[in-house]
Amino acid sequence: MSPTDPSHLDYRALLRASKQLDVSTCTTERRIAILSDAAVPQLVPLLRTLFAARGVRAEIHLAEYDTLELEVFDAASALYAFAPDAVVLLHAPQALRLRYWREAADREHFAERTVDGLVALWDTLRARTPALILQSNFPPPYERQFGNFDHLLPHTLLAQSLRLNVLLADAARERSGVLIDDVCGLATRIGLQRWFDERLWTLAKSFCALEHLPLVARNVVDLVQAAQGAIVKCVVTDLDGTLWSGVVGDDGVAGLEMDAFGHAEPHHRLQHYLRELRRRGIVLAVCSKNDHATALDAFRSHPDMVLAEADVAVFVANWGPKPDNLRHIRDTLNIGFDSIVFLDDNAFERALVRDTLPGVIVPELPEDPAEWVRFLSELNLFEATSFSEEDRRRADAYRANAQREEARTSFSDITEYLRSLDMRITMHRFDALSLPRAAQLIQRTNQFSLTARRPSLAECEAMARPGSGFVTFAISLVDRFGDNGLVSIIILRDTGDALDVVNWRMSCRVLARGVEAFAMNRVVETARALGRESITGTFEPTAKNALVRDFFAGFGFEQTGTTADGGTTWRLRVASYEPRTTCIADADPTTTST
Amino acid sequence: MSTLDDAAIRARLTDIFRDTFDDDSIEIHEAMTAADVDEWDSLNHINLILAVERGFGVRFKTSEIGNLANVGEFLALLKGKLAAAG
Repeated sequence: MSPTDPSHLDYRALLRASKQLDVSTCTTERRIAILSDAAVPQLVPLLRTLFAARGVRAEIHLAEYDTLELEVFDAASALYAFAPDAVVLLHAPQALRLRYWREAADREHFAERTVDGLVALWDTLRARTPALILQSNFPPPYERQFGNFDHLLPHTLLAQSLRLNVLLADAARERSGVLIDDVCGLATRIGLQRWFDERLWTLAKSFCALEHLPLVARNVVDLVQAAQGAIVKCVVTDLDGTLWSGVVGDDGVAGLEMDAFGHAEPHHRLQHYLRELRRRGIVLAVCSKNDHATALDAFRSHPDMVLAEADVAVFVANWGPKPDNLRHIRDTLNIGFDSIVFLDDNAFERALVRDTLPGVIVPELPEDPAEWVRFLSELNLFEATSFSEEDRRRADAYRANAQREEARTSFSDITEYLRSLDMRITMHRFDALSLPRAAQLIQRTNQFSLTARRPSLAECEAMARPGSGFVTFAISLVDRFGDNGLVSIIILRDTGDALDVVNWRMSCRVLARGVEAFAMNRVVETARALGRESITGTFEPTAKNALVRDFFAGFGFEQTGTTADGGTTWRLRVASYEPRTTCIADADPTTTST
Repeated sequence: MSTLDDAAIRARLTDIFRDTFDDDSIEIHEAMTAADVDEWDSLNHINLILAVERGFGVRFKTSEIGNLANVGEFLALLKGKLAAAG
């Protein structure tokens, strides 16, 4: 087993590995500064080894013991000369304890004063370096002054320590580039009795028992890597024996167990764990050796299922090798193998995937499913350094794209596929709601665009006004997988006897779905209603719009000439136009053609 | 641990020294001090103590660790612990 396996970090093995570290294959470098009021020389080899395991050569600047303030406040210190990518501030609870004991006055505000001091460090750092700031929080003390009653007295070391962590998080939340390094979480997981080594504190001012120092190092690596965007995006899970107890093909749906109260509770818990991940934007996929319909039936009809079919972006159940199916999932989602975690209770499948696809993260799940969620949590696979509304919705967006992709491959006939999409279009004049998005689309589209000019928002507004001499269309598309939003715009100039296409743009996301045919039908209808004889247009070649060179010809336009810059001019008689057949319905049948 | 004789203690301690300081040529002797071993800094001193504790199943007091002058004293301390444990 590798000493850098996150589930078996061994202090001595890591130190040994650090002595023969090969960083020649590392493609990136990160510069990490460590400042502490404890002595942490052992962190240097640990960090180098753990960073190297993630493909990163780490340069470490370790400040002298307890020179934290000196390094931060002195603009000429070695810290700033080092030009760190990340500054790690490790504050030992033993040093905190000593300060508390020495400050007898106003202990009710000890936590506030402490946070003020730390914030001063952050703000000084921020003013002088763009480095990421990692601030450790504080494990609670095990000392008690009043026993249990310590919790009810605001001035006790216990009450102030607990409060300190809350205040620290509040202060970090208000600042950019300051992250909490949850040492408290590590210490409480290990247990305070084992975390602290008071003898080593006395002798060497050691931050914690040395055997747990690899966890401190790994937390730093996880945070720095996540801040650089090295994050897990997708969990691929097996079904039989993993999401539930039982084999659906043998036992039938009714024979599967996954309820919250019986012996299958660990599977129930795993499903909740995965659904929580999904809610924070991690994409879920299924990879199972089963008949597709049988596997899906369990999702649809078992009353104890926590995960729903809709929680799964890509559902693969077949009898093919799992590495092939993982490749398919990777391609469908268009993400990297190194952002995929693969869960399977079967050690053979895990080994196969690990050997075949080295990038994929394959946790060596414990034998007993009751240990799984704890085990996975402790691996800290899903570190994030920000969270937005977009993240919350990401899993849905991936799912919608994956479904369209899958639907496309499952139909042999394209028309049948298009019909299955249940597409509905809304197409009407630019209005207050659609104008900003129309202007945005005009700026962003390059390929499906007949002309080069990009009218501004103000110009679009002017053209949208009645009597402007222009006819405008904003086109939005909804299908059964979701709302595609505004996908196309058309601007026509009314010359009195023709409608001239001055701008026609479409997002390439909806290429080959018939949107442009639906739109052309409407344009011709509009011309007819206005009493115009023809539709005219110009194709202006740009570096990127070869895609629509034959757009006009495709709709039966006749070429009327060429322009000086290599463009072509076209004309279509309204009377001779045959409306195109599409698989798109009008979402707003009351729309008039003008 | 009570059955360990002097030679066995010395052999096991030598192994721990070699492993800790990553040097298979180390031969321990009574007068040896940190100055005699390249890698014997304060960091590795702690690693050495912990490795000896683990290797022999003993535990040193803080004051005992702080006051060691040379390997001879370390051996005497270790033998005392083993005898008390036996």
